[in-house]
Amino acid sequence: MSLLISSPHTHSGKSVHSTMLLVMVALAPATIFGLYLFGLPAISLFLITILGCVLAEAMALKIMGKPVGKYLSDGSAILTGWLLAMSLPPTAPWWIGLLGAFLAIIIGKQVFGGIGQNLFNPAMVARVALLISFPLEMTTWVTVDGVSGATTLGHIRTETGQGHTLSSFTDSLPSVSDMGLGMIGGSMGETSAVLLLLGGLFLLWKRIITWHIPVSLLGTLLLLAGVMHAINPNVYPSVEVHLLAGATLLGAFFIATDLVTSPVSATGQLIFGAGCGLLVYVIRTWAGYPEGMAFAVLLMNAVTPLIDHYFRPRIYGRDRKGEPLNYASGENK
Amino acid sequence: MSDYKRIAKDGLWDNNVVFAQGLALCPVLAVTSSATNGLGMGLASTAVLVMSNLLVSLIRQWVSPAVRIPVYIVLIATLVTLVDMALNAWVHELYKVLGLFIALIVVNCAILGRAESFASKNSPIPAVFDGLMMGLGFTLALVILGGVREVLGSGTLFASASLLLGKAFSFMELTIIPDYKGFLLMILPPGGFMALGFLLAGKRILDKRADVARERKAKAAVTPLTAGGAA
Amino acid sequence: MTTEAKTPLLERIPYQAILLGACAAIAAALLLGVDNATREPIAQRKMEDLQQSLAQVVPDDLHDNNMVAKPLLLTGTDGKEVKVYQGTKAGNVTALVWETVGFGYAGEIRTIIALDPEGKILGTRVLSHKETPGLGDKIEAAKDDWITKFTGLSLGNPPEDQWKVKKDGGQFDQFSGATITPRAVVKSLHAALQFFAAHKAEMLEVKP
Repeated sequence: MSLLISSPHTHSGKSVHSTMLLVMVALAPATIFGLYLFGLPAISLFLITILGCVLAEAMALKIMGKPVGKYLSDGSAILTGWLLAMSLPPTAPWWIGLLGAFLAIIIGKQVFGGIGQNLFNPAMVARVALLISFPLEMTTWVTVDGVSGATTLGHIRTETGQGHTLSSFTDSLPSVSDMGLGMIGGSMGETSAVLLLLGGLFLLWKRIITWHIPVSLLGTLLLLAGVMHAINPNVYPSVEVHLLAGATLLGAFFIATDLVTSPVSATGQLIFGAGCGLLVYVIRTWAGYPEGMAFAVLLMNAVTPLIDHYFRPRIYGRDRKGEPLNYASGENK
Repeated sequence: MSDYKRIAKDGLWDNNVVFAQGLALCPVLAVTSSATNGLGMGLASTAVLVMSNLLVSLIRQWVSPAVRIPVYIVLIATLVTLVDMALNAWVHELYKVLGLFIALIVVNCAILGRAESFASKNSPIPAVFDGLMMGLGFTLALVILGGVREVLGSGTLFASASLLLGKAFSFMELTIIPDYKGFLLMILPPGGFMALGFLLAGKRILDKRADVARERKAKAAVTPLTAGGAA
Repeated sequence: MTTEAKTPLLERIPYQAILLGACAAIAAALLLGVDNATREPIAQRKMEDLQQSLAQVVPDDLHDNNMVAKPLLLTGTDGKEVKVYQGTKAGNVTALVWETVGFGYAGEIRTIIALDPEGKILGTRVLSHKETPGLGDKIEAAKDDWITKFTGLSLGNPPEDQWKVKKDGGQFDQFSGATITPRAVVKSLHAALQFFAAHKAEMLEVKP
C-alpha cells in the first residue's frame, strides 16, 4: 500500500486495519463504563458521532474520486469518531456530535489529503472547534447522578478564581478513589482513570504505541503539579487531581500518541510528550479554560514537523549524522 | 476579445484580487464576518482604487521608475486620508458605517498592486476602467466570503444592510435559518481562513472544468480537418 | 556637451529627488488644507455623536441645558482625566453623565453611565467593545435588555457584596457561556458609582 523508501524491511505484521482494531479494543472498557455511567444520551451521541464520521469520510472520498470501500474499511474514521465522542460532554445535543464528526473528517483530515497526511489530530480539531463555537453546549456537564454540575477541574478553577483557598472547599471535591474509578462528571470517556490506564498498558503490550509520549507527558505534568502544589497548596491542586481528573490519561495514551501527528523518533516523542504535559499544566492553571489537553495536543501537533526535522530516526546502515557505516576501517565510534 | 472585455474579465474573475491574486487578505479576513461588511469594504475600496488608478495614470510620464513606489505610496496614503477626513466632516452618517473600512484601505496592497501593474502603463480611461473592474471583483469576493461566513455563522444574510445602504434596502436583510444557534467559529478569524480555503478550491474546480470544456471544443473543431488531411 | 545632458531627464538623481520632494510637499499641503477645512465640522460631528449618546441615558425632559457645552473635569482613580457632563434644569443639577471603562474578554469596554443627584442610575449604555459576537455582545442594548436592568440601582442597592455577577456570588446574571464580559461591565459600573461617592460634592456643584 505505501511506498518502500529504502530496504531492507521486515513486515511487522501490522496493518492500518489491525492497528485501529487494537486501539478500539483498548478503548472499549473505558467507553463501556462511560456509556453505562451516563446512559442513553451518551449511547446515542456515541453512535451518532461515529456514524457521522463514517458518512463524512465516505462523502469526502467519493467527491475526491478515491476508492470509498478500501479507505473506509481501514477503520480510521470509526476511531476518529470514537475518540471525538469520548471527549464530548455525554449530554451534548445530537447535532454537536454530527457537526463535530464532519469537522473532524473534512477540516481535520480529508482537506490535508486523507489518512496519514493530516497535520493535526482530527478528533481534537473538532473538539476545539466545537468548544469555541458552542461554549454553552460544550461546557454543560452532568455528575454521575445525572445532576448538572461542573467537572472537577472546572469547579476548582471557579473557586480559586474567586480567591477561595483549595483547603476551604476540599470537601466538595470527589475523593481519589472516585476519581480513579471514574465516579465523577466529565467527558464521556475520560472519567475512569483505572480503565484508561488498563487500555494504555494494553496498547504498550501490543506495541501499538511506545512508552515515550505517555511517560514524558505524564512525567512533566505531574512534576509541575507536584512542585507547584508544594510551593502553595492553597492555590495549586495536588498531583492526584491533575492525574485522575480531566482528560490526562485519555490524552496521554490515546490522543497524544496518534501515529500520524506525533514525531517519529524516540527523542522527538519525548520532547513532544513533555511539551504536551507543560502546555496542559499551563492552560489548566493560568489560561481561560479549566482543561487544556485538546489545545496542548494541537499546539504540539503544529510543532511536530519541526521536531521531526531536528530529531530524525537513524537510517538503517548509517550513523546518526546520516554517514554510511564503515566497520572495516574501524573509524566509526 | 476587446481590450475592455479583457480588463473586465480579468478584474471580475480570471485575475480577481482575492480569488486569483490572493492579495489584501488582511482586510479581507478582518471585515468579512458578514456580507454587509464585505459590501461596505468592497465599495469603499473600489472608490479609492478608481481614483488612485486615475491619478497614477495621469502622472505616469513624469514618474521615474526608480522612485515610483514611494510616489505611489504617498499618493495613495494621502488620497485615503483625504477621503477619510472629508467623509467624516461632511457625510458623517456614511462615515459612521464605512469609517472602520477606510482606515483599512491604506493597508490594502491591491491598490498599490494595480497602480504598479496597470495604471502606470496605461492611459487614464483604461486605468479607471481597470480600477472599477478590479474593485468590483474585490467587492464580489468580499460579499461571497462574507455571505458564506454570515449564513453559516449567524444564519442571516446582509443583516443591517439598511445601515449601510439606507432604509430602502432593508428588504435585503434575510434570516436564512430561523432560530439558529450560531456557529461562532465561522465569524471568528479561523472561520475566515477555512471559508476562503474552500472558496479558492471551488474557483479552481470551476476553472478546471472550463478548461476541459474548452479543450474538448477545440478538439471537436479540429478533428474534421485532420481527419480530412489523413485521408 | 557634458555627458550629463545625455542622461534622460527621468533618470537623473536630482530630478528624482525633486519629484519625490514635490510629491511629499503637495501631499502635505493638501492634508494641511483639508485638515484645516474639516477640523471644525469634525469636532461638530463628534459633539453631535456625544449628544446622541447622552440622550440615550438621560431623558430629554430631565434637563434644559446643553449638557455637552461645559463638562466638569475630574481626575479618575487611575490618574486620567474624567469628563463629567452635567444636566441641569432650572439651575439645579438633575443628571451626571460620564464614561467608565472595563476590561472584558477582548479589550476595553467603554460604557456611558448617567446618575441622578442621589446616585441612582438613570441609564447606562455600552458605547464600544470588542467582545465575541453572539456571546459577549449581549451587553449592547440592541441585542439584549441586560444593560437596562441597571436602571434605578445605586451603590447601596443592591448591597455592596451583591455588586457582582451570579457566578461570583452577586445578583447580576451572566450570559450563558460568557462570564468575563458581564463581570467587566458590572465591575466598571460599580467603580463608577464609587467614583460618584468620592466626588459627590464637586459633581453636584453647578458651574457658572
